[in-house]
Amino acid sequence: MTWLRNLTTGLRSLISKPRVDSELDEELASFAASSAADKQRAGMSPREARRAARAEIGSVAAVKHQVWSSRWEGVLDNFFHDLRYSFRMMLKSPGFTLIALLSLALGIGANTAIFTLLNAILLRPLPVLKPQELYLFGPGRAAGSAGGLPDDKTQLFSYPFFREISQKTQSFSGIASLCSLQLGNYASIDGAPYTPVHIDLVSGNYFSVLGVPAFLGRTISTDDDRTAGAGPVAVASYAWFQRQFHGDPSALGKIIHIQEHDYTLIGVAQPGFFGVTVGQSTNLWIPLSMEKEVSPGWNGLNDKLFQSLYLIGRLKPGISVSQASAETNAFFKQVLRAEYVGNPPSQKELQAIQHASIELTPAERGISRLRRAFGLPLKILMTIVALVLLIACANIANMLLARGVARTREIAVRMALGASRARIVIQLLTESLLLACLGAGIGVALAWRTGAMLLNMAAPGPEPVPVNLTPDLPVLGFTLGITVVTALLFGMLPAFKATSLEFTPALKDGRGSSSAKTRGALSRSLIVGQVALSVLLLIAAGLFLHSLLKLTSIDTGFDKRNTLLFSMDSSTANLPHGTPDEIRSVHLQEQIEQRVQSIPGVKADSFAFFTFNEGGWTSDVTFNGIPRTPENSRAVANNNVGNGFFEAMGIPLVAGRAFNDHDTQTSPKVAIINETMAHRFFPNESPIGRRFGFGEDTAHSNDIEVVGVVKDAKYFGLTEDATMADYFPCTQNVGFYGNFLVRYAPGANRQLLVSQIRAAIAQTNPNILVTNVSSLEEQVDQSISTQSLIAKLSAFFGVLAVFLACIGIYGLLNYSVARRTSELGIRLALGAQSNSLLWMILRESIVLLTVGLVIGVPVALATTRILKSQLYELSPLDPLSISTAVAIIAVMTVFAAWLPARRATRIDPMTALRCE
Amino acid sequence: MPEFPKSEESEKAPSIPEPKSGDLVQGTLEMLILKTLALQPMHGYGVALRIEQVSGGVFRVNPGSLLPALSRMERAGHVKSEWRASENNRRAKYYLLTAKGRNALEAETEQWDRQAAAIRRILEA
Repeated sequence: MTWLRNLTTGLRSLISKPRVDSELDEELASFAASSAADKQRAGMSPREARRAARAEIGSVAAVKHQVWSSRWEGVLDNFFHDLRYSFRMMLKSPGFTLIALLSLALGIGANTAIFTLLNAILLRPLPVLKPQELYLFGPGRAAGSAGGLPDDKTQLFSYPFFREISQKTQSFSGIASLCSLQLGNYASIDGAPYTPVHIDLVSGNYFSVLGVPAFLGRTISTDDDRTAGAGPVAVASYAWFQRQFHGDPSALGKIIHIQEHDYTLIGVAQPGFFGVTVGQSTNLWIPLSMEKEVSPGWNGLNDKLFQSLYLIGRLKPGISVSQASAETNAFFKQVLRAEYVGNPPSQKELQAIQHASIELTPAERGISRLRRAFGLPLKILMTIVALVLLIACANIANMLLARGVARTREIAVRMALGASRARIVIQLLTESLLLACLGAGIGVALAWRTGAMLLNMAAPGPEPVPVNLTPDLPVLGFTLGITVVTALLFGMLPAFKATSLEFTPALKDGRGSSSAKTRGALSRSLIVGQVALSVLLLIAAGLFLHSLLKLTSIDTGFDKRNTLLFSMDSSTANLPHGTPDEIRSVHLQEQIEQRVQSIPGVKADSFAFFTFNEGGWTSDVTFNGIPRTPENSRAVANNNVGNGFFEAMGIPLVAGRAFNDHDTQTSPKVAIINETMAHRFFPNESPIGRRFGFGEDTAHSNDIEVVGVVKDAKYFGLTEDATMADYFPCTQNVGFYGNFLVRYAPGANRQLLVSQIRAAIAQTNPNILVTNVSSLEEQVDQSISTQSLIAKLSAFFGVLAVFLACIGIYGLLNYSVARRTSELGIRLALGAQSNSLLWMILRESIVLLTVGLVIGVPVALATTRILKSQLYELSPLDPLSISTAVAIIAVMTVFAAWLPARRATRIDPMTALRCE
Repeated sequence: MPEFPKSEESEKAPSIPEPKSGDLVQGTLEMLILKTLALQPMHGYGVALRIEQVSGGVFRVNPGSLLPALSRMERAGHVKSEWRASENNRRAKYYLLTAKGRNALEAETEQWDRQAAAIRRILEA
């Protein structure tokens, strides 16, 4: 236990340093006294003896220092000493400290915020047992259900196929499945009011395959998932359990009422587990056997062609992915061949099976559509903020260099008094580290909530995206790492520079020593680097802004102004599904439409399956008597709408008629198509009165009659190409469509309208819940929210970068003007024109600017290619963005240089000449 | 009688004191201190003086290396210290050998003997 005693003694002597110091003093004094007494005995005079003894001991401070540094606590003591000293130095130059702290806080804060997002969305593994063994069948891009024979890279699977492969697989120790769509629903616990819940339907082995234990009770077992309708149990997520029951274990066994069925709460999953989809947060897991009960309109446990499940397998130890992939694909084709096609199979079916495949993708970090949407933008932002931090480092390094020159004398004195170079370098680095740590502290405080805010800006919606953004070990490690690296980056060079000085001239005046020249070269190259990086950032920002401008000026085809969009949920209204009675839903919609129509200020209103950027339903169509061409066999975007839809959207009718009350469930089936569809099928004639049907089969091509043609619009997103679209009346495609669009007269009181419309809906059916109110404008903005966030952030950071570069230039020139005061004074006294002096100073900054641009612009030209996929109809070499960036940085730097230059011309020759 | 052969020099350049233990093989200083203290408890100056006298003036130990060495050894538990009155009636810190220090001295002496013998054999070969 020697080390323990060592530790305690060390700490004790650290705490009572003054006592230890005075003891050392006394020991040394008695040493000197004994020595002097000896020398006196040897014949020296008392005075001589004392002198000799003192000389023998040398510097008392140095001896004490050596004793201290022979012990471990000496290092700590030095560190504390350095810290105190650093604090004093920081307080001595508040301007420098403020600018350095501010730029560090912004730089480190921005890096932390973006990394928090990057970590949560792209890097963090699932909190399950050995996540690296998990593989998803297919890339997990699609969600929903796919019908028809698989003929491509398959990602959604049917329940029968899941049962079969999970029993027969040799390569996986287990294969679990879950419904690819998280079901939003409403639940009532023990008769309490309904609250929204997010439900994942999962197979019985879901928890055991993932290796997620129960925190309380038990998880879902295979028995719960054996027979359809016979597993009315639910497992809650820990977070939901805490929210609903405040962690009360007696919640187990409570009854949760969802869609007219009761589920018993049997357990709570391990804390931290939110399901396997990043960006979704599951409240309840319910066995797939209850699919029909949870989701009445959308199910098919026995349907081979209702392919709606994700499959996740855990690889057996010792089996390679390629082995597993070979086995899985062979089995897949075998099942398709045996059960999915006719006997004998047609040529076409054989071809489809040929192309059908399952790609095993690592599921270590879960399934995520967020990752696809934000992956590249996040990496771009990460690069941008890293560059900003680099610029901030260059800036601080520059200021430290300048301070190093100002402190030449101080450092020379300390070295003359016996401080080693290493000691001073460490002290200077401690100053840098202190600065970086304080900056990081402020930065982390800034970043604390920024991550969530940014995510909300990137993906706005009624609810925040449930991504866990609490800082974890990787985030803290990252921040600590960049803080230390930052401190070394900006502190190292100035510290070494400051200590490599020549003593005599430095001690004499502390100015004009030979290091000033090299310092100048160093700061100049730092500024050139700053200018180059800033122009890179500005060009990127310009590209994003220009692209955003182009995006926002796209003609949507509909009028997004003066609209309200209500999202509704009917799951607690107990509407009929899949029965002839389902028309009741449509009648309910019509009642709401009529009631709202009569509110003053409402011009038009309509329910619709989709408005804009809400996903879609697409299919092939075939017109009676029209041969299929590559042009007209593309997918058509379908929509089911109310009678007032086109008026509410502001989409003009160009031929035929809109839907009206005569289009009923029993009247002939009708459709309205858009111009692109009309043109592709009928380049030269009117499509009115022509008939078409779904699919490639001509047997159905007489089903539906075209009664009208409307102008094209955007359907899924702003950047889509011309898309064929058709619309059907809700009466002929029954269902409750939760989108209710209202167009109001310009200038109407929106607030009042919203409450009146809410009241009208509640009057019609109080069980219909309005879950969100937005507008077409918001829908359009949301569809480009990522682009607009990137544009705004990159512009902010670009401007920040230029600002920092300008501070650098200002500082350098200001210093050089101050140093050359006497020279400038002489020049003025000898008759130099103030204009030529101005030019002399400005010239220096223009040289730096030019060199920076000469480096920065080609680098930008070479690298902006990576941004191509994020730019809309804009070349990464867009001359407008590049020239604007160059112009901005030129104007800013010249302005920054002009301030000190003007000061140079105002020097009074007399004062200047006296100054040194 | 102690001699001060380098006192002239040390008066000239007092500004940057360097530990003068370069004359001693690294690590042997502690052994010499242990050996010195094995006779009787001594204060710092006593140790320095004794080493210098016994070595015939070859080894001069100044406080810059003696005190850190004593501090290290005290921390390692080889010596302990107490304040006593010195011969000229001042308070002085006396160092005492501990049992652990005695063992260390034995071990170090033995090792030194082995090494010295080996070096001698090599030099005479």
